[in-house]
Amino acid sequence: MRKIIIIGLTLISALYLVGCDNNQLDTSFDATKSITVYTRDTSSGTRTGFMNGIGFGDAAEDNSLLVSGFVTKDNTGILTAMKNDEYGIGFISLASLNNTVKGLAFNGVEPTIANVINNTYSLKRPFNYVIRADGDYGSLDKENLTKAFIAFLGTIDGSDIINDKGAIPLSATGTWDDIKAEHNVCLKDNSNIVIKFGGSDSIEKIAKALSSAFAPKCGGFIAEHDHTGSSDGFKRTQGSEKDSDNAKDVGFASRDFKDTEIGDIGTQGQLAWDAIVAIVNNRNTLNAITQESLKSIYDGTYKVWEDINQ
Amino acid sequence: MEKTLECFKRILGKSKKENIDILIRGIFGISALISASVIIIIIIFITIKGVTPFISYNQGLGQVNIFRFLTGRVWLDGAAFSSSLYGVGFIIINTVYIALLSLMISMPIGVLTALFIAKVAPQRLSIFLRTVVELLSAIPSIVYGLFGSGVILVLVYNFAELVGIQSKGGNSVIATVLVLSLMSLPTITAISEVAIRSVGKDIELGSLALGATKTQTNFKVVLASAKSGIFASAILGVGRALGEATAVSLVAGNSKSGPSLGLFDITSTLTSTMLEGLKETTGLDYDIRFSVGIVLMIVILLTNIILNYVKRKVGSVSVK
Amino acid sequence: MSNKRKLNDIFYQFITYISALISVLALSSIFMFVFIKGSSLLDFGLLFNDYHEKYYNGGFNGDIDFSLTPEPDNLEANEFYSSMWGIALKDAKDREGNAIIIVSYISKDSPFSNMYDKNSVDIESSIVIKEGNIVSKISYYDKPTSLTRYGAELMIKDLDTVTDIREVVYTSLGGGIRGSLLTTLFIIGLTLVLALPMGIFTAIYLNEFAKKNKITNLIRSLIETLTGVPSIIYGLMGLAVFVPFTIAITKADSANLISGSMTLAVILLPIIIRSTEESLKVIPDDLRTASLALGANKTQTTFRAVLPSAYPGIVTATLLAVGRIIGESAALIFAIGTAIKDDVSIFGRSTTLSVHIWSLMKDEPANIELASTIALIILIIVLALNILVKLVSKKFITKIV
Repeated sequence: MRKIIIIGLTLISALYLVGCDNNQLDTSFDATKSITVYTRDTSSGTRTGFMNGIGFGDAAEDNSLLVSGFVTKDNTGILTAMKNDEYGIGFISLASLNNTVKGLAFNGVEPTIANVINNTYSLKRPFNYVIRADGDYGSLDKENLTKAFIAFLGTIDGSDIINDKGAIPLSATGTWDDIKAEHNVCLKDNSNIVIKFGGSDSIEKIAKALSSAFAPKCGGFIAEHDHTGSSDGFKRTQGSEKDSDNAKDVGFASRDFKDTEIGDIGTQGQLAWDAIVAIVNNRNTLNAITQESLKSIYDGTYKVWEDINQ
Repeated sequence: MEKTLECFKRILGKSKKENIDILIRGIFGISALISASVIIIIIIFITIKGVTPFISYNQGLGQVNIFRFLTGRVWLDGAAFSSSLYGVGFIIINTVYIALLSLMISMPIGVLTALFIAKVAPQRLSIFLRTVVELLSAIPSIVYGLFGSGVILVLVYNFAELVGIQSKGGNSVIATVLVLSLMSLPTITAISEVAIRSVGKDIELGSLALGATKTQTNFKVVLASAKSGIFASAILGVGRALGEATAVSLVAGNSKSGPSLGLFDITSTLTSTMLEGLKETTGLDYDIRFSVGIVLMIVILLTNIILNYVKRKVGSVSVK
Repeated sequence: MSNKRKLNDIFYQFITYISALISVLALSSIFMFVFIKGSSLLDFGLLFNDYHEKYYNGGFNGDIDFSLTPEPDNLEANEFYSSMWGIALKDAKDREGNAIIIVSYISKDSPFSNMYDKNSVDIESSIVIKEGNIVSKISYYDKPTSLTRYGAELMIKDLDTVTDIREVVYTSLGGGIRGSLLTTLFIIGLTLVLALPMGIFTAIYLNEFAKKNKITNLIRSLIETLTGVPSIIYGLMGLAVFVPFTIAITKADSANLISGSMTLAVILLPIIIRSTEESLKVIPDDLRTASLALGANKTQTTFRAVLPSAYPGIVTATLLAVGRIIGESAALIFAIGTAIKDDVSIFGRSTTLSVHIWSLMKDEPANIELASTIALIILIIVLALNILVKLVSKKFITKIV
């Protein structure tokens, strides 16, 4: 009995050693190898932003235009794949970028927050919001609360939070203290009112930080977050699902609203910018890439790494 | 009406004990009927949704051609929500191929592990192992997915590199098969073990008395008698392999055309296709997932029928 | 014993041992993975803390009395102290891996001990920053806000240059799983109450009462087919059938724990039926005939003689069921939703531990450590349940024997 356990433990540790060794297997980068292309699925706002940014907008929702043999993964999947796959290329939101992968400069501009703010880094997408149509909230307090929240987004206090969570807020003027007198609803006890937030999951973290910072300022309303994707942002506030049990009071979209998603005047707007970064494995010799090269990689013109003129 | 009265009279005429018997039988019977009808509800619901793409014009996109759908080698030709050119033929092949490969790994290992736990291991070790197996069946599939993308993908990628193949980050048929084998291993082991344990002691003793060794008895008599249970475990194992979505979508690579038969090719299964982008809730790209659901149900049904047929064939040559 | 036979024996024994070893290896590496990734975040606070942090918003009225306390000498290198404001801050990570600034020391005469609550309508209300609070941001009247992302050192530097503060936003530590833990327990209870009687009754009916005819066979194969239905499809059914059903008959107005439990109960039926039936099959017919011969009727025989012997099977079924409930995510995502809650009600949405993991994995960037920690907690719960049920069944069995 004891012998079996000892043998087992030895074998497990042996297995792990082998695993570790494999990880550290250092092979130099071979530019004659083919490029493995990673992408998000067609419902992803990041993908739409990326494809539009590289001038390949047709491929945002059309897989058949992409190079054959591409790999579809979610955000985390692309990040972990790029740690492992020396010959892969993918894209993520700037907020998710860390030192386990290499973020490529785009058209000669490094992917940094400063470069997004000074408008030199051009691979970016807007973060938008949409609220229900006037008079469609079920209660006046709820409507006023939602509008107070939107007003909060435009204050310095709101943009501080957006900034802190890694996105780039639009320029804000005034503080919540300056405008709170205009929102009397916040003086009431709102602890029995539930405001439902939904739409893009890329904006979920920011939206949660905003609502939890704002709720105590405004009568302690309850914020319920259920983020399922950009296309649900409009659909669940003013679109086909606005009266279903999935209905939301505030929806977000991490892309421009489509022509079919134009709601009542004054119910939509932008709260921030987010940059998208093309990423590769740390061992890759590439440090920068142009818009044309990225398009050529994604449409299959460039098949191996040495095709890219650095 | 008369019949009902007659029935009441018969019930009233019986003793209290017998009435309780009838009542209990009724309750049990109704339970069984409800349990059995759930599958019918599911089938009706999915069929209604899943047939829509083939019979309606899908808001101007045109009907989905069912023949093309069933034999297609590309999932979607054109942009999502603006094309009706769907095909799942290659995905069906991928799904069955992957399920069978993973059964080929998990089945022998699982059954032999069950045999080890039930008949060979000392009591303490077998209690320990059984607990381990029970614990593993409770691990959420997303954790298997994490393990798959954190460990198995790395191993597959490095192994492929060693044998000179450039795999796509390890996302491959073999990685999917390994994850699914791991996931169905606890199920197969647990059910097989119950089956092996319930083989009558007399059969075993009979075999030993006839001069067979312990090992011979285990393999030729015990396993043979537990066949029915072992096949049940195989059915459950295949069910898990065919139906798993979360973990598979993390390691398969989700290819959009195929079929993928090479072990290091990226692949996709019916479930991973259904799961992808399921955030959308209206339109053809959503409805078509129910059609994939129907295909999945049919694939599972056929697999079950075949396995049940084999089970009956094999089971009839019982040693009893 | 012939040589060939011996060799055969050794060979067969060998493959049995190897198989068992492979299973143990494969399975233990999953344990190791979960443990290595998840153990760093495991503490009791995690179990009992709320998921959502509580926000406080402090401001100053009138003149500020600055702190006179010099820097305490027991501060570490990564703690930064402002002697004017009497507060020490340091950089840390919260449970989701986000950078935070935590209050590591605050002096008694710090101005932060005497602020008014900007969130309250009452101007006189006062609030106090405590050690362990997280400073989310400090904003001033005429310069840019000090934010978490710029680090503790800069925040202290900024503080040292100002004499007035517009507002301080600080929070409690969130990221706990109390709500999800509670939800999981609710769901387990509700689902078992629904599924166990139904499943056991069906198994008894099929094995003890039903005649061997085509209808019984049909019922059996219908139930067997249920085992192969993937959980996504159950989830869709839950969304389409059980959610509207529960909204109609209870006070719920959206997907809720009851609709989730009903969906899970359907998923569990075949598992419970099969396990119970397997153990019923093993019971020798002698037991039944003996009971009947002694004058017991069918009901008595079933409840007094057959069921107790099937007890181990039912326990196995329950265990497998609990395991499945805890592990299920795909179906629940549809049947309950993914909103993580601290106040759990069976008529509202909230997440089980598994769906909590799923929600964490969906975050950008995903938090594998916390996900693994929750997986580890799931394993611990299952282990505890396992041991508990085994103890109970042991007692039960010795009682009836």
